[in-house]
Amino acid sequence: MAEPELLLDSNIRLWVILPIVFITFLVGVIRHYVSILLQSDKKLTLEQVSDSQVLIRSRILRENGKYIPKQSFLMRKFFFNNQDEGFFKKTKRKVVPPSPMTDPSMLTDMIKGNVTNVLPMLLIGGWINWTFSGFVTTKVPFPLTLRFKPMLQQGIELLTLDASWVSSASWYFLNVFGLRSMYSLILGQDNGADQSRIMQEQMSGAAMAMPADTNKAFKAEWEALELTDHQWALEGLEEELMSKDLDLDSMFSSELPTGIF
Amino acid sequence: MASVSDMYDVTWEEMRDKLRKWREENYRNSEQIVEVGEELIQEHASKLGDDIWIIYEQVMIAALDCSRDDLATTCLHELKKQFQGSHRVKRLAGMRLEALERYDEALKMYNDILQDDSTNTAARKRKIAILKAQGKNTEAIRELNEYLEQFVGDQEAWHELAVLYINEHDYAKAAFSLEELMMTNPHNHLYCEQYAEVKYTQGGMENLELSRKYFAQALKLNNRNMRALFGLYMSASHIAASPKVSAKVKKDNVKYAAWAASQINRAYQLAGHGTKETKCSLKAVEEMLESMQIMPS
Repeated sequence: MAEPELLLDSNIRLWVILPIVFITFLVGVIRHYVSILLQSDKKLTLEQVSDSQVLIRSRILRENGKYIPKQSFLMRKFFFNNQDEGFFKKTKRKVVPPSPMTDPSMLTDMIKGNVTNVLPMLLIGGWINWTFSGFVTTKVPFPLTLRFKPMLQQGIELLTLDASWVSSASWYFLNVFGLRSMYSLILGQDNGADQSRIMQEQMSGAAMAMPADTNKAFKAEWEALELTDHQWALEGLEEELMSKDLDLDSMFSSELPTGIF
Repeated sequence: MASVSDMYDVTWEEMRDKLRKWREENYRNSEQIVEVGEELIQEHASKLGDDIWIIYEQVMIAALDCSRDDLATTCLHELKKQFQGSHRVKRLAGMRLEALERYDEALKMYNDILQDDSTNTAARKRKIAILKAQGKNTEAIRELNEYLEQFVGDQEAWHELAVLYINEHDYAKAAFSLEELMMTNPHNHLYCEQYAEVKYTQGGMENLELSRKYFAQALKLNNRNMRALFGLYMSASHIAASPKVSAKVKKDNVKYAAWAASQINRAYQLAGHGTKETKCSLKAVEEMLESMQIMPS
């Protein structure tokens, strides 16, 4: 079937495409500043800070243990991993999964997240759909199947129209995701207008410093430390050092720094 | 009195950058900081913008070091006006009280901060510093140990603990603290060298071997560490001179000591390059090395 090329009114470009781009961008910027205003401080408990540091220390022991004498390494490994007395064996943290119902701060965070992100998107998407309805806005460069038609061609009831021609609502959604790099350019990384990143965070479901993880993290560290062996990095060091003269170049410069500048 | 900018012919931007360099690299040249910083805040305050607050903090601490209470009070006053209710500023106020030796009031301020925010490390460390200033070394060590149980990753604290233990001659525990530092900073030759010195002081064949190894490590990390070179010479000759070692170990250590001595000679030769005193200083070095030879007792 021959593809009829549709010629769109150039007014569409002027009065539909550009305004939608501007609207999306400005709404994004506003969202960023609103999220900054509504930000609440995350308060960490002493225990969480302490635990995270202990985990770091254990990891460092595994990675850099080869720089300290064997005796010291074994002493620390014993401290962490011993069957009865070891730190990872002995400490059990109280595990409270942070469900939104029991933890009020999580609840407010969730509500704030929804208000700043999902709500505006729905509202503006709906408004655009209502305002700019009844005509085709643009054509996506790749062919789509017919199943996309009801989704992308809201309000246009033409059976024969190619699914590649989309309405303004889909142009709006395209913009929401496409302007992400513009936001990082203008607002700097980690900005509040980055919707897709926020949606990703919600999907993975992991917030910072999840308490339920601590026990699991301890167990994982215990296993990893059990497997670590001590390979002393200083074995045979003297021979290596004395194989050649020391590099004493430029050790003594004739100019001494005087004063502050 | 000539201003800094006149004496060295520098602009205020250069002064500000110099202060930033000192701040980032943790210099403690308080007199210079006071000189440069005082002029910066008196003459060029308006041009600095938001940088001025961190400069106030830096200059205030330097002023406390130089007993300039007037300058410190000015800085503190400005910071209090700008950041009301801030813990960071409260800690600075506590430090000023410490400098005036009003330790009880300072202690009260830090306890207030800790009541508000129990994870505030700065306040805890200041309390330990008060104990140290009052000369209560054992209590300071005890408090520092408790602090480190909670905050295992604080390297500044581990180093402070090592120094306190060395002062109390508890070398085994000092070695433990330095090991922590060596693990977290494997490329820092100064920690290796300090550890080797502690091991050498502890004495005993095993510790001497370890100290020789770690002096060598310090040298490997930084070929120009003269102190480590001398340490290598001393520990190797000490082992070689001990009557209890096997012939092979003795031979090895004599070789190490001879190598270290030749490197020391080379270094002094390079140092005196082109000057008339070279011959005299080289002879002095040789005599010194000979006198440092440890004879079996």
